[in-house]
Amino acid sequence: MSERLLEVRDLATTFATAGGPLPAVGGVSFDLDQNETLGIVGESGSGKTVLSRTIMGLQPRTNVTVSGSARLNGFEVVGASEEAKRSIWGTEVAMVFQDPMTSLNPVMRIGKQIDEVLRVRLGMDKVAAKARAIELLELVGIPSPVERYRAYPGQLSGGMRQRVVIATALACSPKLLMADEPTTGLDVTIQAQILNLLDRLKSQMQMSVILVTHDLGVVATRTSRIIVMYAGRIVETGSTRDVFQHHRMPYTRALLESSPKVANRSHTRLQAIPGRPPNLMKLTAGCAFAPRCAYATERCHRERPELTVTESPGHAYACWNPLPTTRGVS
Amino acid sequence: MARYLTRRVVMLVGIVFVISVGAFYLIHLLPGDPAVVILGTGDSPQNRAILFKELGLNKPIWDQYFIWMRNVVHGNLGTSFISQTSVAGTIRAALPIDLELIVLSQILAFATAIPAAMRSARKPDGPLDRVLGATSFTLLSIPPFIIIVLLVLLVAIKLQIPHTGPSSYVSLTSDWLGNLESLALPAFTLAIASFVVYYRVLRSDLIATLQEEFITLARSKGLSSRRIMWRHAFRPSSVALLGTAGVNIGGLLASGFVVQYLLAIPGLGYTLIAAIAQSDYLLVQGIVLVVSVGVIVINFLFDFIINLVDPRISRE
Repeated sequence: MSERLLEVRDLATTFATAGGPLPAVGGVSFDLDQNETLGIVGESGSGKTVLSRTIMGLQPRTNVTVSGSARLNGFEVVGASEEAKRSIWGTEVAMVFQDPMTSLNPVMRIGKQIDEVLRVRLGMDKVAAKARAIELLELVGIPSPVERYRAYPGQLSGGMRQRVVIATALACSPKLLMADEPTTGLDVTIQAQILNLLDRLKSQMQMSVILVTHDLGVVATRTSRIIVMYAGRIVETGSTRDVFQHHRMPYTRALLESSPKVANRSHTRLQAIPGRPPNLMKLTAGCAFAPRCAYATERCHRERPELTVTESPGHAYACWNPLPTTRGVS
Repeated sequence: MARYLTRRVVMLVGIVFVISVGAFYLIHLLPGDPAVVILGTGDSPQNRAILFKELGLNKPIWDQYFIWMRNVVHGNLGTSFISQTSVAGTIRAALPIDLELIVLSQILAFATAIPAAMRSARKPDGPLDRVLGATSFTLLSIPPFIIIVLLVLLVAIKLQIPHTGPSSYVSLTSDWLGNLESLALPAFTLAIASFVVYYRVLRSDLIATLQEEFITLARSKGLSSRRIMWRHAFRPSSVALLGTAGVNIGGLLASGFVVQYLLAIPGLGYTLIAAIAQSDYLLVQGIVLVVSVGVIVINFLFDFIINLVDPRISRE
């Protein structure tokens, strides 16, 4: 029915650091269809940001090795030259960055930052680009866009800046929008506004969206599928429903239990995941979560579990001692 | 912006006032009696007293200052009692040479330092960056008066290029090409010193800016590296460069003086050194005043440009 937009196979990103190689992403495979919204969740340092940048080919230009494959609408990103990738950036895939305080050029009027994409990438003339930029500002809900066109980023609030970043990303109507923690730097009330805006734009502009976040609350109602990452690998993936209700991987449960909910009774202790995310430079042969896992056995420390599929289509987990299935139990 | 500018102008006027008091007082600090200097040691005390009164030296010092200031504002810096010529006229003849030297050297310095810094910043610690870094350090360690001597030795004496040796200054109005030739070596010498400073300042700022998130965002828009460098990285990285340039040009006047003296180029520097040697106090005072105000105004201008470049500075 719907067409495949992105195919990621065995994608791995390793940084060369002074202390040795750092495998930030290790062998990730997944697919994304057109008009689909995928959530990638995980703690800080789980590799989700690096993964999203590697899929775009936007990793740093030096001291990094990428292997595997990421085909975006037929274009192989891995190994492509910066020049070749430029042809898909903006038009095929665009990114909304984490921190709108640092992701806009502080000494360039916001209108110019949008204009620029239209002129360089779509070859619009000055007048047309300006008109379109103002349209885009209006589209992302910026009040009095004609005046704001001339504003510098410093004159706007965080939420407004993120709207500008979104407008910039949408300028060339990309097929895939990467949103890397798009609401992390914003107030809670603004977060919902930005997420709703992304939702609306997604259906309006017929895009696929990859929503990268550490906040399960963000992905719960907005994604159709979720990838849970830990130490640079996928540990569980499936439909949003499966991951929330029928998860098998203990890490997924720990992550769910550690996220605060309004329904929580007041003054109850929030469940934290014991221990810390592993040092990626000292990964063992076993499951990376084993040291923090209550169900870990000797095998978990010795051998890394591969993704095991479940009876539900698309649902898979990487665990030797999965939680009992909750399917059919109501 | 308007408020910021008004504040800066008020400050500028204040600083110029302090400088004028300093320049005025300079003469009073000098040992000796002006009447003796003018009349010579042989004249009678009565004549000296009359001259003293004529010069207004019996008035309170503040009155003297205001009389002097009124004249200065009207462009009258007095008449040298050594050469009997107008100080303002002498300065007016010499100043264009200094300005031309500065403009030439700065064009050279910026035109080389900016592209060099960009190449270096694109690949820090790459081969080109290392070569440029080593070269700039070497140049930094050679003072201008050595560089100019070496250049004269090579260009004027070995290669026999006309107008490049000492005492061969050609004025702009008589022969512009000859003028350019005669100023080429000093301008080049001054440019080297500026290049090193500009290159190093801009390189490190560019490296820092290129790591900013907004550069990654610019990359993700599909812009060319060249455009990212010029449109996104250069402007926010040029604040320190401009600030340094403002200060540097002031310092350049001094190195310019040495170079002018060595090649006998009749600019302000050469004139000043000659005036000091001849105890031509009024001329010294005039040059000190003009140069100081010039340095202040240049710095003010650069401050103003910085504001245009980075709107965050005047917005509080």
